Amino acid sequence: MGQKTPQIYSVELNGAKDMKQRDKGDDKDKYRGLRSTCLELRKNDHKERVTKEIDLDDHKLSNKELENKYHTNIVTGLSSTQAAELLARDGPNALSPPQETPEIIKFLKQMVGGFSILLWVGAILCWIAYGIQFSNDKSSSLDNVYLGTVLALVVILTGIFAYYQEAKSTNIMASFSKMIPQQALVIRDSEKKIIPAEQLVVGDIVEIKGGDQIPADIRLLFAQGCKVDNSSLTGESEPQPRSCEFTHDNPLETKNIGFYSTTCLEGTATGMVINTGDRTIIGHIASLASGVGNEKTPIATEIEHFVHIVAGVAISIGVLFFIIAVSMKYRVLDSIIFLIGIIVANVPEGLLATVTVTLSLTAKRMAKKNCLVKNLEAVETLGSTSIICSDKTGTLTQNRMTVAHLWFDNQIFMADTSEDHFKQTFDQSSGTWASLSKIITLCNRAEFRPGQERVPIMKRVVVGDASETALLKFSEVVLGDVMEIRKRNHKVAEIPFNSTNKFQLSIHKTDDPTDKRFLMVMKGAPEKVLEKCSTIMVNGQEQPLDQSTAEAFYTAYMELGGLGERVLGFCHLYLPADEFPETYSFDVDAMNFPMSNLCFVGLLSMIDPPRSTVPDAITKCRSAGIKVIMVTGDHPITAKAIAKSVGIISANSETVEDIAKRLNIAVEQVNKQDAKAVVVTGMELKDMSEDQLDEVLSSYPEIVFARTSPQQKLIIVEGCQRQDAVVAVTGDGVNDSPALKKADIGIAMGIAGSDAAKNAADMVLLDDNFASIVTGVEEGRLIFDNLKKTIAYTLTKNIAELCPFLIYIIVGVPLPLGTITILFIDLGTDIVPSIALAYEKAESDIMNRKPRHKKKDRLVNKPLAVYSYLHIGLMQSLGAFLVYFTVYAQEGFRPSTLINLRVEWEKDFVNNLEDSYGQEWTRYQRKYLEWTGYTAFFIGIMIQQIADLIIRKTRKNSIFQQGLFRNKVIWVGIASQIIIALILSYGLGSITALNFTMLRPQYWFVAVPHAILIWVYDEVRKLFIRLYPGSWWDKNMYY
Amino acid sequence: MVTQKEKKSCGQVVEEWKEFVWNPRTHQFMGRTGTSWAFILLFYFVFYGFLTAMFTLTMWVMLQTVSDHTPKYQDRLATPGLMIRPKTENLDVVVNVSDAESWGQHVQKLNKFLEPYNDSVQAQKNDVCRPGRYYEQPDNGVLNYPKRACQFNRTQLGDCSGIGDPTHYGYSTGQPCVFIKMNRVINFYAGANQSMNVTCVGKREEDAENLGSFVMFPANGNIDLMYFPYYGKKFHVNYTQPLVAVKFLNVTPNVEVNVECRINAVNIATDDERDKFAGRVAFKLRINKT
Repeated sequence: MGQKTPQIYSVELNGAKDMKQRDKGDDKDKYRGLRSTCLELRKNDHKERVTKEIDLDDHKLSNKELENKYHTNIVTGLSSTQAAELLARDGPNALSPPQETPEIIKFLKQMVGGFSILLWVGAILCWIAYGIQFSNDKSSSLDNVYLGTVLALVVILTGIFAYYQEAKSTNIMASFSKMIPQQALVIRDSEKKIIPAEQLVVGDIVEIKGGDQIPADIRLLFAQGCKVDNSSLTGESEPQPRSCEFTHDNPLETKNIGFYSTTCLEGTATGMVINTGDRTIIGHIASLASGVGNEKTPIATEIEHFVHIVAGVAISIGVLFFIIAVSMKYRVLDSIIFLIGIIVANVPEGLLATVTVTLSLTAKRMAKKNCLVKNLEAVETLGSTSIICSDKTGTLTQNRMTVAHLWFDNQIFMADTSEDHFKQTFDQSSGTWASLSKIITLCNRAEFRPGQERVPIMKRVVVGDASETALLKFSEVVLGDVMEIRKRNHKVAEIPFNSTNKFQLSIHKTDDPTDKRFLMVMKGAPEKVLEKCSTIMVNGQEQPLDQSTAEAFYTAYMELGGLGERVLGFCHLYLPADEFPETYSFDVDAMNFPMSNLCFVGLLSMIDPPRSTVPDAITKCRSAGIKVIMVTGDHPITAKAIAKSVGIISANSETVEDIAKRLNIAVEQVNKQDAKAVVVTGMELKDMSEDQLDEVLSSYPEIVFARTSPQQKLIIVEGCQRQDAVVAVTGDGVNDSPALKKADIGIAMGIAGSDAAKNAADMVLLDDNFASIVTGVEEGRLIFDNLKKTIAYTLTKNIAELCPFLIYIIVGVPLPLGTITILFIDLGTDIVPSIALAYEKAESDIMNRKPRHKKKDRLVNKPLAVYSYLHIGLMQSLGAFLVYFTVYAQEGFRPSTLINLRVEWEKDFVNNLEDSYGQEWTRYQRKYLEWTGYTAFFIGIMIQQIADLIIRKTRKNSIFQQGLFRNKVIWVGIASQIIIALILSYGLGSITALNFTMLRPQYWFVAVPHAILIWVYDEVRKLFIRLYPGSWWDKNMYY
Repeated sequence: MVTQKEKKSCGQVVEEWKEFVWNPRTHQFMGRTGTSWAFILLFYFVFYGFLTAMFTLTMWVMLQTVSDHTPKYQDRLATPGLMIRPKTENLDVVVNVSDAESWGQHVQKLNKFLEPYNDSVQAQKNDVCRPGRYYEQPDNGVLNYPKRACQFNRTQLGDCSGIGDPTHYGYSTGQPCVFIKMNRVINFYAGANQSMNVTCVGKREEDAENLGSFVMFPANGNIDLMYFPYYGKKFHVNYTQPLVAVKFLNVTPNVEVNVECRINAVNIATDDERDKFAGRVAFKLRINKT
């Protein structure tokens, strides 16, 4: 452990995010850091050297050469005309968005996708049928033309609708990414101007200050304490200093180049734009990402599968009955018309639109829970996710350093690290704490930005680095007004922290007017601080630092370090008043004050603590059968510590190393099967073969990848996909974009994420919070279940729509249900109810079952199709036929008379067709009766669809367990069904073009017994499923 | 990974099908074992048996609501339609005078149609009723008491009766008879106690000219009230529908003439926009002479 200590300290948390947020407010008074002027660039003596980096050699050029190369002037910048020319030549400085499919193609795809083809076939058959009729008889009725037109309209309208829905969801995304237009400060025509970053051209001189995003690839000409965060490009989270010196041949390594879309953390710089838009380094990577193919989403596969089933049924029944009709000596023309009817009856015209609405409803619901879905289908993908590869920083953690532990008086105290901690509960009575708190308060350069008195302490914006911010907030919480304390203890001298000293020191006058001594306070790397101490404070008393206390110190230090925390040591010294009188002038360069024999006070450790919602979310994931893999660029120890604290590595599981340590044996001797968890570093991963990686992924349930580069993320994702898993990946950097794209669902961070990552992702987490993913998973699973219900509901009536045709062809009764009427069911009464099922609550805890297997658990499986078609569908047909026969019988045609009546019935010149009572009917009278029959059949289906809707609320539970009235939207759906049917029958009854007639009120109730039967039957089915899980019944009846 | 489709060779596909049809390892036929098949067949046998029973029961209950002698509702039959004989495809009466076969079929149909109207048959089966008033036969307490019908003798059709007619209802001479009858509607009191008759006209002006003159039997195309009401075929077994015969005397030959006949009765509307046969009948008449 000992040798790892310095590394622990060096683990740099990504403080950049804090900075970024801070910068959104006020940019001006932020920079008070050290100013180091970069003098004249040193002449590049390697300029003649031919470099392998063909794209970029600007870092090797001198300022003069750069000016010549880009025809610009460092002082005056480009002229506006020059800039305009260049802009025209190179195009705007923006990443060209990934190749968009042209809108018209998207639109046409909607027109031919899914069932559309079938319906087009139906429409064309209609027109052909009319063509044949017309060539035989010029006065033939236009019915078939109307029907064909209606079918075409249906396709076009549903196509437009789906297109509109898709466009709308894409627009949400577009508006999101355009929220913050990037600006750049540029020198043109010797003037400083703020222009949109898009208008930058090569040769422009731009000025950058901390907090800005670098607007293009720039070669630095001048820099003051400039540090950049290249994490989005390289994955390194440590801030990189930038200067104007050429330090490395590789343009990615050299210090004098700033990259497009990286962030300047602090300092200021002036640079010349050397590449814009897609020619930037980021542009290259982004274009690589677009090379990774987009996988078809699981739900798209499922819907395709479903379309295939339905289309298969439609075509095979259609063709079968076409053959039957022809062999029954029907005319070919009539057979074609039957075929159309069968197709229309079989195709659930409204279903795909319903699915789209359902998905977008869920997308909206998820957006409210901070999951912004870019691609509607991704809504469900999240639900079928079986592995989540999560980032650590910001996603699992709060992304801010927070004091986690304190060590003083030989004791480790825990500090509260939750998001909104207001009080610290550790023992604050000790005198040591009084001293320690003073050091923490005084030896700190961070300050609150003024004017935030009302803001909760933890949310206040701080100027200063991550650890100092943590300490400031900590002391503010514990002690109250820190600034006031600092004012009372006037600071007379200070040595800021630097990486060679590894300590920070300041000297103060004390606030005790009787004590004229100066107080020297110091904090820094614990071992460095301890070196300078000879005493240690215990219970407020100084004691000599002996072997045992030093050991206690090291034990505590190791323990805290082992938790992955950044540990700081604190010490102080009251300078004797005689040696250092009030007027003494301290010189930090000459160090005219003691630097040894200080009094060690305590340790304080900090960590970027996990978000308080995360452990719970991880537990939920685990019970939901989702494996959470941590993939981070951070140090293994920190990674493991966080993984343990959030539960990615559960409390009782050990890695091979842990076991080795516990049993005190060599790592190689440990039985690998005993270890449940594993921490794999990027270095180890590099040496692994595909098979080895597969073995790691499949044999350990708890995996942490540490020190990985973003490129390795892609390898990990591919490895997971080889396990047949649906993989969700979170990421924020540009370099994550290939992995995001490769993943089944890429999740980008909304706050920390780069545009490239957001572009590649399918979903954006607005709050960067892992817990949001879990709510997303829940919604995704729910929508899958509910889509099943919707589809089952919709498929059921297909049989009730199909049977009339089959009976009509085979038995020869007058047509029970017209094609137009079918469309009114599919696109009228059934639409709202099927959407209403999307609001159904989960039946059981959906987060307690395994994620669905994407190849085995289909959306539409055999039991669903069989149960819908052959059970409920058939019952529904019988009920509807009952209504139909009732209407005919009560009007004079008994069922026995109807058989084989079709031919005479449909002859236009037969105006004296005899019914069962010897009465004679004209053609129009019969037609009207036929329409009444359609209406009756329609009402019959509608009434039973109400029962169908109610039974589809659950698949396993009794309706009474689920609650009849919990989902209010279902009742809206039922009301809409009834209202639409009332309007069609009574409101439009006189418009005969729609083939609806006024139906006697009592006929509305004829199908009620069958509706009740459907309900009872389904309750019995569910009862047996609940009683005998795993039985034959369960296997065949549970969909 | 999802999109990767494994290409299968033809032989593999056949092999898979074979295994699907009969899998010797699991003893599965078409994806199910014998027991499973037995279960499934038994289930569907019981289930569909139950459904059939249920449907039959509900149908039976429904049929109990329907009486044997009158339909429950007659709202669609408020206006009886008119129809012609001979019944021809698309109501086109085409007579090629020189071609005996072309009108021969009409004549045959008419002969058959008029057979029940023979005086002998009528006298044997039906009553002589008092003309000018409805022949009402109340049940008088006896449920569904069989009803008697009034005589309509073939001879009433005069020149169109076809009895001893060498011209075959005038078809052989180009002066065809067309018979008009009104659709039967149960319990319909046609004419509302006032006399009614059938009239025919050419549909348009030129049709009227081409139609020429015609005579009607019974005179004026009268339909007597005594043939109403109709009590339905079950209890009004020998009901004879009254007819009106129209003999077209000098139709312009080789021209298609649109003829429209309608009934003039107080309670029969003949101006229904949608139903072109409500209280009227339109047909085409064409006499081809060489």
